[in-house]
Amino acid sequence: MARYLGAVVCFAGLAVPALGAAQAAQNATLRRAQLAYDNLEYRQVLTLARAALRERLTGAERARAYELLGFTYGAMDSILKAVDAFKQLVLIDPERQLDPNRVSPKAYSAFDVALRQVLLVRQLRVDSVSFVGGQGAVPVRFTVTQPARVVARAIGTGGTVVIDSGAWNGQVNLRWPARLAGGDPVPPGTYTLVVDARLGQNTFSASQPIRVSHGRVDTVPSVTSLPGYQFLPETEIPPQSWRPVGLAFLYTGGALVGTLGLESSSLGSGSKRELGLVGGAALVTGFVMMLRKPAPRPAAANILYNRLLRDQIARRNQDIARENVARRQQVQVTVAPVPQVTPK
Amino acid sequence: MSRAALGALLLALALRPAAGQLVTVGPQFALADYREVASGLRYRGSGFGGSLWARRDRLSVEAAVVRLSLDPADGSAATTGFTATQVDAWVAYDVAAYASVEVGVLHRSADPEFDAQSVGAVRVGARSFYEIGPGATVVFRANYLAAPKFSGGGRAAISLDLGLGLDIRLAGRLHGTATYAFNRMNRKTNPGGTGEIDAPIQVSLARVGLALGL
Repeated sequence: MARYLGAVVCFAGLAVPALGAAQAAQNATLRRAQLAYDNLEYRQVLTLARAALRERLTGAERARAYELLGFTYGAMDSILKAVDAFKQLVLIDPERQLDPNRVSPKAYSAFDVALRQVLLVRQLRVDSVSFVGGQGAVPVRFTVTQPARVVARAIGTGGTVVIDSGAWNGQVNLRWPARLAGGDPVPPGTYTLVVDARLGQNTFSASQPIRVSHGRVDTVPSVTSLPGYQFLPETEIPPQSWRPVGLAFLYTGGALVGTLGLESSSLGSGSKRELGLVGGAALVTGFVMMLRKPAPRPAAANILYNRLLRDQIARRNQDIARENVARRQQVQVTVAPVPQVTPK
Repeated sequence: MSRAALGALLLALALRPAAGQLVTVGPQFALADYREVASGLRYRGSGFGGSLWARRDRLSVEAAVVRLSLDPADGSAATTGFTATQVDAWVAYDVAAYASVEVGVLHRSADPEFDAQSVGAVRVGARSFYEIGPGATVVFRANYLAAPKFSGGGRAAISLDLGLGLDIRLAGRLHGTATYAFNRMNRKTNPGGTGEIDAPIQVSLARVGLALGL
């Protein structure tokens, strides 16, 4: 029972990738081949798929027919034939990818072998990116299925610009600064990124249209503070003390002692009414000031700190001003891939 | 320093607007005690006057004038009073945040002229000042009165003047002021060439008033 269940699951797995495409097939023979594949009637699949390939098919239908052949040969352990079928498939549709989780290992390995036996440039991708001209680059990546001499070019409004070239195999990552030979940013417009691969007499090209646009570089606003640094209060309120009344007492006492010392003995003891009036006022004022909240006084350390901070901010703003002058002369380059219309 | 020159200096300082300049001017009420020659000759009285103070950076000038009506005090040998007009002026230069040196003049005249000594002298001294609270400053002053001249003649080798002052900012530009001055002149005279005799002069003067900051 367990073995029977496993076989059902295995066959179901083989059939899954074919489901979606079977619904899209317009050719009657191809549809029958798909139905036979779904029913595990492999010999009939071979007959019908080959027959379909002799008929007029669209590119997608032709690719589907070879795919059915590849899967069927794989299921029948005819690996070499499966590889041949898959080679035809990837030549028609180089971007075709199998999901290793949904196809049988035999079919997947046959597909993988087929990929390595034909020269392809696949999965050409250009990321959307925006940067200041001369200070960034456009990431370009693609896969070359065989060791080959590869040249990547951008062809468009600004002429043809060679991005890079070399002998590459497998995943290739390039960075295109989007500049002309003179160093200026490429003019805005639509470009086609073309990757040519050559191995002996075999050549293959892949392309991806991209749109290059220019914009103004954002200027940097001036700063009024530095992150992590705060202005400190430039005055501080000293703690209350007896100093006011002490000083008033000291000054009044000095006047009293001086008066007593200077008084002439021959003139007798002088009137203290005048000193009492003013000295009393000074003492009362000192006492009141002692009780009052002290006046804020300059905080020298904070003033120095704030001055240094202001100097730093001024220096930063000077740098920003210089940077903004340069930025106004720069251009913001934005590169975005243009979606390709898939032929039916 | 002549009165005209002092007046011109005060006017120039007062009228010239500049950072760090402050001018106060206002009326004063005065109390005074005046003694001369002997303990039996003493007068007390009061009067009115005015003061002006100006500062520019480290330099400050101060002038005060007061007119006093002095009457014989209880137990005084004097029988009639007199009127005295006293003018004080100083020019001070700050040598520290709490001290300055100063020079100035003192002039006191009596009316009727021979009821008391009229005197003029040059002041040379120093003062200390300290802000004891927001807008409140106390001042202590000590001046040597050099080269005094008396209407009755004589000399005074030792003549000193002590002062205590208080300035409080009452509200906005309004200040309250109180000053005390005590001066002692060891005057000696030689009437008729019979030999010097002591004829000291001692004055206590308190002034209380208001001043407006300009």
